[in-house]
Amino acid sequence: MYGDLGNKLVQYAKRTQSLGFLPPYQTETVRGVTREVRDLDKDIAQRLEPFGGSFNPQADQATACTLLVNHLSIRRNKRCLLAYHKSRTDKLEELAWKGFDVVDLAGQQVASGNAGSNLGSADGGSSSLSPQEEDYIRQYSDLLAAYKGQWTDIDLTGSLEPPRDLFIDVRALKDAGEIQTEYGAITLTKNSQFYVRQGDVERLIAQGYLQKLG
Amino acid sequence: MDIDDILREVDPTFDSIPVETRDLQALTRAWIAERSAPELLDWPADGLFERINDRIKKQIEKVEEMTGDMDPKTNFALIVIQTELERFKFLVRSYLRARVAKIDKHTLHYLSTADLRLRLSSTELAYATRHQALLHHHYLSSFLSSFPASLQNLNDTSGNISMIDTPDVDTAVFIRLLRDVVVRGKGTDVDGAAAGQHGDIFILRWSDAKGLVESGSAELV
Repeated sequence: MYGDLGNKLVQYAKRTQSLGFLPPYQTETVRGVTREVRDLDKDIAQRLEPFGGSFNPQADQATACTLLVNHLSIRRNKRCLLAYHKSRTDKLEELAWKGFDVVDLAGQQVASGNAGSNLGSADGGSSSLSPQEEDYIRQYSDLLAAYKGQWTDIDLTGSLEPPRDLFIDVRALKDAGEIQTEYGAITLTKNSQFYVRQGDVERLIAQGYLQKLG
Repeated sequence: MDIDDILREVDPTFDSIPVETRDLQALTRAWIAERSAPELLDWPADGLFERINDRIKKQIEKVEEMTGDMDPKTNFALIVIQTELERFKFLVRSYLRARVAKIDKHTLHYLSTADLRLRLSSTELAYATRHQALLHHHYLSSFLSSFPASLQNLNDTSGNISMIDTPDVDTAVFIRLLRDVVVRGKGTDVDGAAAGQHGDIFILRWSDAKGLVESGSAELV
């Protein structure tokens, strides 16, 4: 039936909103909906053909009704597609803001187990993004970087929690190697605990290397 | 105008508040307003952010200078300055992010008229335009290109539904009055009005509060 596939997409979109990661792109469904739109459009053209551009809805109400339903279905499908794609791009943008390196998708999949990000696909090998989405997020990251470049001192992607203390207690969840701070270098080995400046380690907390205590 | 206002005008300390403090107040106020208003507000035009940026830069330099000093007294001052700096940065960051979130949500709406465009700073405008172009391109390459040409637009208004989403200006906001004014609000059945005094707090629709806030009679809280 018309719209069934579109509905499916909306349900996917809704589900994606509450997920922490991005499920695989529904290439087949999207293609199906687009095909439906094209078929409906063809149908409209065919039905209108015999009238030669002088169609009078009053004279032939049955055809008028069919045309209306077809038009509405097309529009609905378009809305479904837009909603589906928008919810996915929103998710991608969110990840980009959080500082995940979405651009490096190939690397993500290899590291998906330990990097704390679930962008890597479940079925292994193939990406959960469509090629267009990869393209999009790559360009969006560039755009974001450019915008951030205007505010170098503020670090726009930093924490949105109001800062309370300058220094915080952190515990290292994984070996992260040595990091440089204003007070010298510290070596982060697993399960070790530090009292460090929040600004220095924010990135590492976001990436899941460190855990904030207390 | 009541006695407080008159007193404030002759108060010698009023003008002596340093510009730094006033900038901080302006920033805090802009931040609060931006976070509670459903709509994007005007970008502060008087170079507030240029001044703030300069000051942040200066403080960072100062911190770098002071780090070399091992004197415990400087160390303490350093911590105070750094904490202050972090808070300042947070304000700016949160403010900018709140704006970007609004712009992202209703990009086409804010780009649609010249009037609305003026609310964005030039960098925000560039960002919004580029972002919208990217999105459109993404839709086009994903599915729109195989649509009939008449349906490829993103700003269709046919069928009585506009594709451009606009912010809901009827969301409730809290305002604090800065002088005595009559507050008018549109109701479902009848419109209401209340005589407000300086310092009173009201909750009303943003569409009703907007005039008061813009004229400086009230501030968002």
